[in-house]
Amino acid sequence: MTGSSNSMIHLAIVLFTAVFTDNILLARFLGMCSFLSVSRQVKTAVGLGLAVVFVMTFTIALDWLAYRYILEPYAIEYFRFILFIVIIAAFVQFIEMAIERYSPVLYQNLGIFLPLITVNCAILGASLFMVIREYSLAEAIAFGFGSGGGWMLAIVAMAGIREKLNNARIPKGLQGPGITLVIAGIMALAFIGFTGVLSGR
Amino acid sequence: MIAAKRTRDVVLTAIWGENPVFRQILGICSALAVTNLVLNTMVMGAAVIFTTALSGFTVSVMRKYTPRIIRMMVEVLIIAFYVILFDQALKAYWPDMSRNLGPYVGLIITNCIIMGRAEAFANANPPVLSFIDGLSSGVGYSLILICVAVVRELLGMGSLLGIPMPFLSSSMWDRWIIMVMPPGAFFTLAVIVWIARTIQKEKDQKSTEAKK
Amino acid sequence: MNLKDKAWFPVIYMFMLTLILSTVLIIFGTITRKRVKENEAIAFERAVIQSLPVEIAGTTAPWQIHQIYLSSIREADETSAGAFRYVKGDSIKGYALPLEGPGFWAPIKGVIGFEPDAMTISGIAFYEQNETPGLGGEITKTSFREQFVGKRISQTGTPLQIRGPTEPLDESSVHAITGATQTSNRLAKFMNENISQWRARMAEQK
Repeated sequence: MTGSSNSMIHLAIVLFTAVFTDNILLARFLGMCSFLSVSRQVKTAVGLGLAVVFVMTFTIALDWLAYRYILEPYAIEYFRFILFIVIIAAFVQFIEMAIERYSPVLYQNLGIFLPLITVNCAILGASLFMVIREYSLAEAIAFGFGSGGGWMLAIVAMAGIREKLNNARIPKGLQGPGITLVIAGIMALAFIGFTGVLSGR
Repeated sequence: MIAAKRTRDVVLTAIWGENPVFRQILGICSALAVTNLVLNTMVMGAAVIFTTALSGFTVSVMRKYTPRIIRMMVEVLIIAFYVILFDQALKAYWPDMSRNLGPYVGLIITNCIIMGRAEAFANANPPVLSFIDGLSSGVGYSLILICVAVVRELLGMGSLLGIPMPFLSSSMWDRWIIMVMPPGAFFTLAVIVWIARTIQKEKDQKSTEAKK
Repeated sequence: MNLKDKAWFPVIYMFMLTLILSTVLIIFGTITRKRVKENEAIAFERAVIQSLPVEIAGTTAPWQIHQIYLSSIREADETSAGAFRYVKGDSIKGYALPLEGPGFWAPIKGVIGFEPDAMTISGIAFYEQNETPGLGGEITKTSFREQFVGKRISQTGTPLQIRGPTEPLDESSVHAITGATQTSNRLAKFMNENISQWRARMAEQK
């Protein structure tokens, strides 16, 4: 990447893009399983969202280091799928144990979501995108944090909307996953509107 | 006779009755992103079918020897093995397609459907049956995605498999650009789910009424 | 099986399984690796040839591309400031400057060709892009690329502009793809960065 790749403005752009215009859920379709099933209440959505931000940011950094210092030197880049999954699973396991031990309160609010995250494809997906786009470590962290934040934004917004829809009359065939997909589509449409914001850069 | 009937039931259940995407909307993560082109979707479908069938077979062959405590890790390892094989082969022999599909082939590993079939079926059934079950699950899953892709490519690009279609690619038709973008995938899938669920509900209603 | 109940069995099992699967993958990976590298090399060479006024008859097989490349293209030297040289006999028939930068989805890599005057464009080709099919992905189509042929990079200010689809053009600008704002903007940005640097270094030599 060119010399400007680590300037603060560039990193801010990477972050902003990851949250809004290139939202990992609404534009890249990742993390949909938990999105569709855990988005009924704002409270749970916030909990899961925060957990995702935390795990995504740290694991993308760990995966970057693993890719750069283990996979590339030995020319076994195709092992990244397995290695990344192992790193993510190990990290989540470790954090869950740590939280359970040191803060029961935090565990109640956040920790119970952690096992759900291991199967969240957005976490693995973010790391895989990082490899494809040849990000530097700083860019990867900005991207990871932004992607997690964007995912959280989407799921919290979705939960808010669905709470309001509790009393709405929805056709039987559309109830549940159907209407969630329609809402997701409308949100995706709205987020595309952000594309013009950074057009000068 | 019984064996043949069993196989037929397995196939039908996997494709329609318990069709993962209809009933549980599992595993659509990986796939919606590539449904803007039918060709890409077909390759993606092939990857899922390949992985689900072969990993079902492998998990089933090993099921008597695998200790319970590491069962899930073994399943992930086997699934990852087949996915990586497919991904590497694609990269070497069809690099343009590999680039089009991006990280989404690799993400098949985290696809809930494949894990689900391995856990629910392959662990408790003989290898050949598990292979067929995997094959059928993969086919059912791919069919839905191809439906979405057909709608998206026809309306959004006026073509099918890259071949321009008579009316839709002419200047009389305004391409639905929304179909080329993510919201198009969400809406199309929502409509398909709606149609499928309504049909399913009517079927269920008819059968409960028939029982009375 | 009593063996299954021993504490160490799962560990050994996992280890052996990982070993076997990894070995197969590594063997397969090493075999295909060569192929992957060849694909990438041919894609690059094809882009270089397409950006220059090199004669190629009809459809060309990979080995033909390689032959043409070997016979006509030379590496960069001091006079070309990093660009590949299209050489016929003793004279330079053109320069091919590699372009690389972030697209909307993933890095875009291409080559832009210049006449020996280092100002007039002879062509442009992309060998790696992952933009939206039907939108940004159209940059690989002839309709977009042939706009560049014959344009001259401006000697002051922005070398090359990518303007809106309805704006008037001059000798240093081309039309963007309708609906592909992001890809067009990013392409313009890194394309101009690469060209400006090259233009400056070429000027130093005169």
